[in-house]
Amino acid sequence: MKKIFTAVLFLTVGFTFAQDMEEVRKMFWETKDEGSDATAVPDKYKNESAVVLYEYDYFYYPMFYPKQGFRKRIKLQDAAAVTEFSEFSYKELSSRSRSVNNNMLGIKIIKPDGKEIIIDTQKEARQVDDDRKLAIANLEVGDIIDYYFYAIINDVNSIFDTQESTLSGGYPTLALRVELQLDKKLFINLNSFNGAPEFSDLPPGRKGDRRLEIRAKDVPKNETQRWLYPLVALPSYKWQVSTKPFGKPDKEVANGKVKKKFTKDDMMFSFEEKYRPFGDMQHIEKFLKKKTFADDADKVRQVYYFTRHFYYTQFIEAFAINEAKIFNPFELYKNPIFLDNETEFINHFMAFLKDNKIDYDIVVATARYNGPLDDVLLGPNLDVMLRVNTTPEPVYLKYFSPFTNADQIASELENTDAYVLNVFKRKRVTDVEKVRLPSSTFQDNHSKVVSNVTMDSGMTGLKVKRESAFSGHLKEDEQSNRLYFYDYVDEDYKKFETESVLERVKRDKKREQYKKEYEALINKYKDKQRENLKKSISDEYDLKIEKYEYTVKNTGRFGRNEPFVINEDFDIENNFVKKAGNNYIVEIGKILTGQIEINQKEKDRKLDVFMPFPRSFENEIALEIPAGYTVTGIEKLNKNVTNPTGGFTSTAKVEGNKLVIRTNKYYTNYYEPNGNWPKMMDFLEAAYQFTQEKVLLKKA
Amino acid sequence: MKTLIHFLLILTVGIASAQRGIDPTDEDVQLAKKLREQYGKEDVAILESSDMVSFGISKDGSKVTVSNKIREKLMNINHRADIHKYEFYDSESKIEQFSLKFRNDKKANFMVQDEFYKDSDLFYNDARVKHMAVDFPVQGYTYNYELDKSYNDVKYFTSLYFNDEYPVINKKISIAVPKWLNVELREFNFSGYSISKNQTVNSDGETVFTYELKNAPAFYKDENAPGRTYVYPHILVLAKSYTKDGKENRLFTDSADLYKWYKSLVDMMEDDPSAFKAKVDELTAAAKSDEEKIKNIYYWVQDNIRYIAFEDGIAGFKPDESQNVFTKRYGDCKGMANLIKQMLKAAGFDARLTWIGTKHISYDYTVPSLAVDNHMICTLLYKGKKFYLDGTEKFGALGVNAERIQGKEVMIEDGDKFIIDKIPTSNTEVNKETYAIRLAIDNETLKGKCTKTFMGESCAEFLYGYNRFGQERKQDALQNYLSLRNKNIQVSNVVTSDLKNREQQLKLDYDVAVNNKVSSFDGEIYVDIDFMKEFNDFDFKERKTDYEFDYKSDYLSSVTLQIPAGYKVTKLPENINVSGKDYDVAITFTQTPKEIICKKNFVFKNGVIKTTEFTAWNDFIKNLNTIYNQQIVLSKS
Repeated sequence: MKKIFTAVLFLTVGFTFAQDMEEVRKMFWETKDEGSDATAVPDKYKNESAVVLYEYDYFYYPMFYPKQGFRKRIKLQDAAAVTEFSEFSYKELSSRSRSVNNNMLGIKIIKPDGKEIIIDTQKEARQVDDDRKLAIANLEVGDIIDYYFYAIINDVNSIFDTQESTLSGGYPTLALRVELQLDKKLFINLNSFNGAPEFSDLPPGRKGDRRLEIRAKDVPKNETQRWLYPLVALPSYKWQVSTKPFGKPDKEVANGKVKKKFTKDDMMFSFEEKYRPFGDMQHIEKFLKKKTFADDADKVRQVYYFTRHFYYTQFIEAFAINEAKIFNPFELYKNPIFLDNETEFINHFMAFLKDNKIDYDIVVATARYNGPLDDVLLGPNLDVMLRVNTTPEPVYLKYFSPFTNADQIASELENTDAYVLNVFKRKRVTDVEKVRLPSSTFQDNHSKVVSNVTMDSGMTGLKVKRESAFSGHLKEDEQSNRLYFYDYVDEDYKKFETESVLERVKRDKKREQYKKEYEALINKYKDKQRENLKKSISDEYDLKIEKYEYTVKNTGRFGRNEPFVINEDFDIENNFVKKAGNNYIVEIGKILTGQIEINQKEKDRKLDVFMPFPRSFENEIALEIPAGYTVTGIEKLNKNVTNPTGGFTSTAKVEGNKLVIRTNKYYTNYYEPNGNWPKMMDFLEAAYQFTQEKVLLKKA
Repeated sequence: MKTLIHFLLILTVGIASAQRGIDPTDEDVQLAKKLREQYGKEDVAILESSDMVSFGISKDGSKVTVSNKIREKLMNINHRADIHKYEFYDSESKIEQFSLKFRNDKKANFMVQDEFYKDSDLFYNDARVKHMAVDFPVQGYTYNYELDKSYNDVKYFTSLYFNDEYPVINKKISIAVPKWLNVELREFNFSGYSISKNQTVNSDGETVFTYELKNAPAFYKDENAPGRTYVYPHILVLAKSYTKDGKENRLFTDSADLYKWYKSLVDMMEDDPSAFKAKVDELTAAAKSDEEKIKNIYYWVQDNIRYIAFEDGIAGFKPDESQNVFTKRYGDCKGMANLIKQMLKAAGFDARLTWIGTKHISYDYTVPSLAVDNHMICTLLYKGKKFYLDGTEKFGALGVNAERIQGKEVMIEDGDKFIIDKIPTSNTEVNKETYAIRLAIDNETLKGKCTKTFMGESCAEFLYGYNRFGQERKQDALQNYLSLRNKNIQVSNVVTSDLKNREQQLKLDYDVAVNNKVSSFDGEIYVDIDFMKEFNDFDFKERKTDYEFDYKSDYLSSVTLQIPAGYKVTKLPENINVSGKDYDVAITFTQTPKEIICKKNFVFKNGVIKTTEFTAWNDFIKNLNTIYNQQIVLSKS
């Protein structure tokens, strides 16, 4: 009996899946739509590798098991395109799908004579671990491949999903349709941007589902280039679907309309209750007892660094020890608190501010690559920080990495519009105001590299000693690329009088054993770190570096204006020095390291220029002139191109037995309109040309 | 608020199982330090490795089975080591034991993963891999490794190596041969190694052959290296026959048996040429000669059949039917070889399937083993001549054999018999590549006209690279190639020969302007005439194995610089002329009243630079760089 029942159940399930498959097939391949059976490619796209004749993206959000699918009908115009579409992997088609076995893939090939060949994907696919792979038979240049993919996506229980996409893809698209279908009980924020067509309403679907679509024709292929924010510069759309409203659900939204604008009122509605002062204050209180502070601002900064250590960097060694399976270090901590997300940090720090009667507000902003604040529609596009209202200057604080400084607003938020949630009596959000966040300057975001260069004894290569100091926004990337945790945890233990993991191990014998294993781990990391640093400097110069040594002079972790400083010694062999009769030509400009090379294609840039932040790069290069030689040709090392977008300047002079060159390259702004691109190219060219300049060491 | 304990609960699950064994002894630590000095770059050394092989007969008596037991003692010789221990198996083999023990003999329960072995060259294959992540917390830490693996059929158990992924301090291989089995243990590359051999009889009456080698370095990680069969000492296990119930059963006694088995697979195929008859007619209808018909078919397969390989059980050895490959428009080397054969047959030619071991394998067909070959092509017998057609060669012209098959033995089908022959080797001349540029100085810019030509394999390589780009990117790709992606080099007015034609010399003509290679100081002009700097990084300071080129090459570069009016040349770099067993290089600077001519000719006549040549070659590279770092000085006359 049981067997029969199982068999019946199995059959039913099988039948349902087959039924679903049939339905999906019909939806993608049998729904008549404008352009969906196109075969012709306009002349202007004849030279493209492939052209998308028709694309239909479909998103379906019922209350459970959201689904996502698409159909693409693509004309393959050369062998490269045929190769591109000759193999399919279910996993690569959707990284979000729950299980590849429930995904549906339909593929057909349309031959130039109109003959259609439908591939039996269920039969042809091969299971490879958690993927299914398919080799496409009988595919040739000139064919059209027409395929759909449909999958249940990850999130099961509570529907929350966002989409942000440009209309354009890797190939030009003749007709594009994006359809969205959702349960009428779900809330949706949605809009199109930068000239993309508006979404329009479709007649309700099954069970009264809301349906919306966007249609576009003749969409050129994606632009990929340096300094571009695609969602700001190119036609795009975004939405957020959720069981909870994001922003105030006004009457219209309740009646099946979508929310297209997110206003101050929405902000108030969604953020009023989101954060509250909350957290165990005993550690901060203990810290405060031992300290005196110049003023509230000083106090806030000190507590911030304490927080960064006590709730974060204090545990980094433990994580490493755990991962290396040396021992379980976590039992050494009594009720440890680890702040592992933004909200926890904000709540915890608010509790401290409230207890200490220091006024603050909550700042909500969006990264500049998401577009302007007024266009914000998606929750995940908002970042939160605290503005502590000290005098004369407020202190801005954000959730930390081991390198985050107080007063450091994330570069992507700086100089953007933001909402300030005014917190009344350090407790309750009472109103919302729109502000412009402070910006930084190219002087703030600064690097200074001093290179002392000598010729090697054989006069064939150079020996370089250099010190690099990074400040402002240029600092954090350098720190996280170059510093390993053991470079900075000890300074934290010392500063905040806490114990390292090994100090917490009380039994001597155990500690000895752990110490050996931990040291072995660190030594291994250090070898790796040296290799990485050597590779990174090799990349900077684009050549092989020999005899590399480094020391970290200052980790730069306690204050926005405190630089991160690293010293490096290395040799550049068989490069940069050319023999010319009895004389030598030294390619001294190359010591500046690789500069941006603008190629012909980039010169014709049509889009605006979006950069991370204003910044400046100062270099001092001192070449020791070998005894018995004089240096000539230094005129060309003097460059001076400055304009409102930035500049490159350099000066060279002989000081004693040294040729001393000072250069400065800077970018003034976060953003330049396309009209300013030629100006930028002027100084970028000057910087590149500097790297090509040489001097002659002439035998006296 | 989440506490740390909650946060970490999931992370710490693994730790309980990684219960530590005991610390290394002081002797172990000392040994590890010593070994680290000896094997500088390695993390782990295998102190002892014993590889034990024994044979059995399958239940139905039809096959000889193999049991392979490996026992190793692994030691961490670096500060700490984190490695993956892994082992492959497939439909013909099984892993029965795969585990590690601590020094105190307690089991170390590392999690074993079992998944498909993924190879970018194979779309699908049935090989699987078991692996575990193993950490050695301190220097001198050891584990004992145990592997038991069995093979259903002795023909899939081909070779035994002494070297390993890590250096092996003591390697022992013992093979117990029962009386009923006739097996040859053929030794390769033993010379130069002190491998001790010993022969005893065990209690079961089996003859046990034992080989021992000390201090076998890890497999070298060099790129463009010869195959392992050339480099490392190893034993091929050639099971020739076995006796059961008084009856002798042949296995692979000689190559005829190997052919017989291959033929039995070929006989299982059911080719149906009607599927591509129309295509063959279309390709041959307008052809004016037999040669043109052959080319049309051969090139059509190269251009239209994509390489997609399924190595699934017997499909690793049996070609796919021609009609399938034709309809699918994809296949592996066997499928393509068979399609070429059947299409040529349909056009009235005598074409045969042909087994071959590429250059990667050192053996010839005197070795009756599956290890002897790894590739299949098609041989066309036409007017007493043999033409070798390789469907996997894109842009390979008829009559041009790729370096990877040249000089190799082939086994050509011939009904119940077979033909053994050798693919002819070519000289360097057929692959000649030239670069000629005439430059004049124009305001600190070098301007001129340039011509590049390619032939044979250099042409095929260029066409293959170029035609992989989508058509809208081809022009950019060509520009980038010619300008070396160097902003100082501007290329314009490119004129090419037909970039689909694989038979003629390929020619690229273009104008070039080069910035920043001319400097003026104190009235003198310094010219960096040699900005291509061919082979400047090509030294073998750390290399341990021969360097193999993709093909035998002959590269001739000629750079001519006009001397500006009113200037004379003060000094030219010295000429270099070096010849080794594997290479001839000549670099000459000559001067006429109006011009300086720099000619460079690099000929790699054997397609390889042997390790024995490395010292001389490295010295040459040093001299070459001295020349490259010299400037031509022009002073006012």
